[in-house]
Amino acid sequence: MDKKKVHIILDIVAIAALIGFMFWANASFNPYNKRIFNTCCIYAICALSMNMVNGFTGLFSLGQPGFMAIGAYVTAIFTVSTADKVSIYKIIPISDFMANLSAPFPVALILGGVAAAVFAFLIGFPVLRLRGDYLAIATLGFSEIIRICITNMQGVTNGPTGINRIPSHINMWVSLLILAVIVIFTLAMMRTTYGRALLAIREDEVAAQAMGINLFKHKMLAFVLSGFMAGIGGGMLASLVGAIGPDQFKFTVAYEILLMVVLGGQGSVSGSIAGAFIVRIALEKLRFLDEPIPALGYPGIGGMRMVVFSALLMLVIILWRKGIFGNKELSWEGIGGFFKLIGSIFHRSPKKEVSE
Amino acid sequence: MSALLETKDVTIRFGGLVAVNLLNLTVNDGEIVAIIGPNGAGKTTAFNLITGVYAPTEGDIIFDGIKINGKRPDQIAKMGIARTFQNIRLFKDLTVLENVLIATHLNVKTDFFSSVLHMPYAMKEEKKMKEFACSFLEETGLIEHKDDIASSLPYGLQRRLEIARALATRPKILLLDEPAAGMNPKESVDLTEFIREIRDKFHLTIILIEHHMQLVMDISDKIQVLEYGRTIARGIPFEIQNNPAVIKAYLGEEEIN
Repeated sequence: MDKKKVHIILDIVAIAALIGFMFWANASFNPYNKRIFNTCCIYAICALSMNMVNGFTGLFSLGQPGFMAIGAYVTAIFTVSTADKVSIYKIIPISDFMANLSAPFPVALILGGVAAAVFAFLIGFPVLRLRGDYLAIATLGFSEIIRICITNMQGVTNGPTGINRIPSHINMWVSLLILAVIVIFTLAMMRTTYGRALLAIREDEVAAQAMGINLFKHKMLAFVLSGFMAGIGGGMLASLVGAIGPDQFKFTVAYEILLMVVLGGQGSVSGSIAGAFIVRIALEKLRFLDEPIPALGYPGIGGMRMVVFSALLMLVIILWRKGIFGNKELSWEGIGGFFKLIGSIFHRSPKKEVSE
Repeated sequence: MSALLETKDVTIRFGGLVAVNLLNLTVNDGEIVAIIGPNGAGKTTAFNLITGVYAPTEGDIIFDGIKINGKRPDQIAKMGIARTFQNIRLFKDLTVLENVLIATHLNVKTDFFSSVLHMPYAMKEEKKMKEFACSFLEETGLIEHKDDIASSLPYGLQRRLEIARALATRPKILLLDEPAAGMNPKESVDLTEFIREIRDKFHLTIILIEHHMQLVMDISDKIQVLEYGRTIARGIPFEIQNNPAVIKAYLGEEEIN
């Protein structure tokens, strides 16, 4: 049997295993764990959004919270019922037009993504002329501007109070499905000539331009796609949490997403997903460190989990400077190689094998 | 016959420094023209002006009858001027094939969404691009390395890959910035042959910057000598070899009798 066939069979087995896991998890996970899973998927989408710009195109952008906020608010406004909206907007009553906006959840979610993409397009004109750290600062600034605008546009966004009573449409299957669509889109895109053009920009801007690649156009493409994905992530978050406010989209969210992307490996789809799952799960599962452990005489220090978590991260970054996956993708060869490596540690064969 | 590329009194200043001063370069179709001169003479700056990295402070650059100064490098690349770089600039983490494929992107017709959706038309074009890229790798003897990571190639092959990548943009003019730098005598003889070969095969016009005099004298139809941004001589190789100003400025009096 040739390699390709083996890989297809392994792919089918893996997908079947994933579906099996989903049925099992849906039946046996408690709501808390289900929620962690959903949050992981949402952050994975946000990490993929950042990876599109930071990992593939080599730009340093931190604008995700702003785009997430736009997606979240648009989705919320379109899904909260008219009666609820009227009762939520207390300080400045909602306009009739806004109150009557309504769309089914999938449409509202896509509208959120599109709105975020439109903003990314507009912001892209001034900021994409910047490079490196300057771009990071400018995008972070725009993200904060969006948040401040949301805080102050009382009649549209209900200001600092935010919007609640957002109907929940998120369950494990929906989260996984949307994540899968975005992953497939990203992978399909990176195989095209447009994907390669983005990689060329990452590798060497000067050479890419000399080869006829329009830098601005392609950077804009990545930035808008990234905005769209972050908008989708934000919309899902709104629907999962049920209540949103401007404080949920502070710039610290950008760092958290950046952490996921760097931890997983910039330029790797597998890495972004792994990073998101590891960070979210670790943050939740290390909560016991904040509580007292009487058996060890540990009094419980609030925030201890963050200290431990940060230390673990530093360790990971020191050991794997390029993140878990580097800029490679998860592949069967890679897994095979990993197990061979593990095997070679435990069974030191007397004669060294020379590979190629 | 009108020139394929012509620079008219092109000057660029960086603050007080005049890097290129009144450059008049005329390149006819099918010629190989060498630009030589001591370090810091403004040779690479001249390339950067022609390829649009810098816009000239004064003067015009005419390519194929169209004024190109002020255009972006990608626009100029699309018009048919390709280049290599003095210190190799490959897409290091990508494969050899991908490096060349990227250079075919400027002629892509499929739009983004049909491309992502892998529409039949898009797939056809992608296949054509791959075949096209592979044909250049065959020409340059890199085909057996097509799946290697570019930065893992030996130095000489990296230079070749840079040329293959430039050729894949289907240029009319190819600008080679010190193609023989760091090569041993045998490699540079091979390179001389290779440059002639690609010129004939792809009907190219070539401008090259080179310090390797044997190569320059062997290959060039015309030579232009720069010093401190100024042209101090121009002519056929024989004239340049015997030009006292050039000998004084650049070649050294001891070397040429």
